[in-house]
Amino acid sequence: MDLNQRALALWHRIAGPPRDIAVTIVLLWAAYMISGALLGHTGAENNSALVFVLAVVLISVLTNRYFFGIMASLVGGFCVNYFFMYPYSQFSLSVTGYPVAMLSMIIISIIVCALTTRAKLMAEEAVKREQDAKALYELNQRANKEKAALQLEAARESIRGNILRSVSHDLRTPLTAISGAIAVLMESSDTSPKNMALLADIKDDADAMITMVENILSVTRIQDGTMPLKKRDEMLEEVAGDAVMATHRRFPDANVSLELSEDILYLPMDPMLVKQVIVNLLENAIRHSGDTQTITLRLLRQEDWAVVEVRDHGRGLDPDLIELIQAGQQLPAEASGDSSRGMGIGLSVCQSIVKAHGGFFEAGNAPEGGAVFRFGLPMEEKDNG
Amino acid sequence: MAEKRVILLIEDERTISNFICRALAANDYKTIAAATGKEGISLFFSHQPDLVLLDLGLPDIDGLEVLGQLSGLPRETPVIIISARDRESEKVRALDMGADDYVVKPFGVPELLARIRTTLRRADRIRLSQEVQKDRYRVKDLVVDCARHQIFVGDEEIHFTQNEFKILELLCAHSGKVLTYDFILEHVWGPYGGTSNQILRVNMANIRRKLHENPSDPKYILTELGIGYRMLEDAT
Repeated sequence: MDLNQRALALWHRIAGPPRDIAVTIVLLWAAYMISGALLGHTGAENNSALVFVLAVVLISVLTNRYFFGIMASLVGGFCVNYFFMYPYSQFSLSVTGYPVAMLSMIIISIIVCALTTRAKLMAEEAVKREQDAKALYELNQRANKEKAALQLEAARESIRGNILRSVSHDLRTPLTAISGAIAVLMESSDTSPKNMALLADIKDDADAMITMVENILSVTRIQDGTMPLKKRDEMLEEVAGDAVMATHRRFPDANVSLELSEDILYLPMDPMLVKQVIVNLLENAIRHSGDTQTITLRLLRQEDWAVVEVRDHGRGLDPDLIELIQAGQQLPAEASGDSSRGMGIGLSVCQSIVKAHGGFFEAGNAPEGGAVFRFGLPMEEKDNG
Repeated sequence: MAEKRVILLIEDERTISNFICRALAANDYKTIAAATGKEGISLFFSHQPDLVLLDLGLPDIDGLEVLGQLSGLPRETPVIIISARDRESEKVRALDMGADDYVVKPFGVPELLARIRTTLRRADRIRLSQEVQKDRYRVKDLVVDCARHQIFVGDEEIHFTQNEFKILELLCAHSGKVLTYDFILEHVWGPYGGTSNQILRVNMANIRRKLHENPSDPKYILTELGIGYRMLEDAT
């Protein structure tokens, strides 16, 4: 910014009307002094009119709009007549030619004032337009840059998601084959009891890996945002029943009871994902609570929420974990006490799925002992989906 | 049984195909395996199997196309679909096209064997009796008396609404088979009923409450999530 512009900026920063009044008075005063001096030296009367017209031009340039310029013209006309024309210090229109001279001076001043002001306004307009254009250009530039970065990030995310998804997909088939083949071996009569124990371990791990793959598939589906939830209206008790049966197939010795709500909970959801939340919570209870026999899954309606509650009577949750969940913080995939077999990812997946449904996710310890996990899904579709 | 039942397995994943064959052999079935849809169709006509296990994701032709060629033949052979989890609509379409049942990858061996047994039994029943409309169905202690329009659990009579009764009757008439939502809607409310899924689901929730049926441990009606319902097999 050069000096000129800085001065202009300073000029504009000083407040409007008081500044304009001061300018007008100072300039008129200066014109008066100069005219007085000229009259004393030369004795010629007609110089003063030109001095005042000059003052009016300067006032028009330096003040806002027409008002001060026109006022200065009138005051100037009067001053010239009063102070600098014979008879001095007296207003007179009787001398021949005076009214015409005064009137023409006032008219000239006003026209000059109008022209100057208009020119000034147009100049200001031009400057403003140029600034707007510049600002707009810069904004555009920045927006473009941000958009490009965002697009790049989205593309990266989507590639990452796609890779994860296809890897998980390709893991699913061999894992099914491994688990299935072991099941066949375990049923065959020529497997020794010693080998049987090993096979059982392998099958357990293969099944755990299948669960993990399902979790990764779900989480990539939600987190890359490229695939919206496949929501449809679904009966919550059927989803919960399916989840319990799936859990029972994997852990035949565990005992999970399902308590239905009195209300019919029929609401929009992605049933496969909600089922997975319930399966994860049940599996979490079975694996980590130390209680496999009195796990309850309760469905209830609370105002506009369909609530699912998983309760065990085991050793309860670490207060740090509860605090983390209650604060609504996304659990890191490796958190939650025992991170073996991907249960850390399990809880984190639960949070993501519930959040994507616009629901809430809570955890705590029951007063009578044991952990309680609760999550709620909105009964009605919210506008923001 | 004197003769071994013949099962045709159309599955392109060799490892899955292998363990299924072993499991079937261990349970006294004779298995023929095909790795492509075309091979499957030609083996179907040369071997006349009792049941077909069909993977929907085949390398050469669409599994549904294979299904289309196998169904509608004079001697109806039951088909069980093997499908991936995220292809639900395909599964429903296969069932509506006449497939008898489905298993979802990853599936366990006991589950697969149970489905095969149920489907074969049902096919036998149909062949022997042509499954005439019966007056009375019995599943465990549930008795559906169609002639008298009464339903009993044990000795206790339970009152059902007209539509609830129709749903139960329909499920009983096809016991052991998955009935899709659309199939049930069409048969209970009529083809032009224009009814939504919701009314069926709510009716089912009410039936469940009247029968004291817990969906996590069903005694009579199995829920096939996102697909439909299945009545356990009729005992009479």
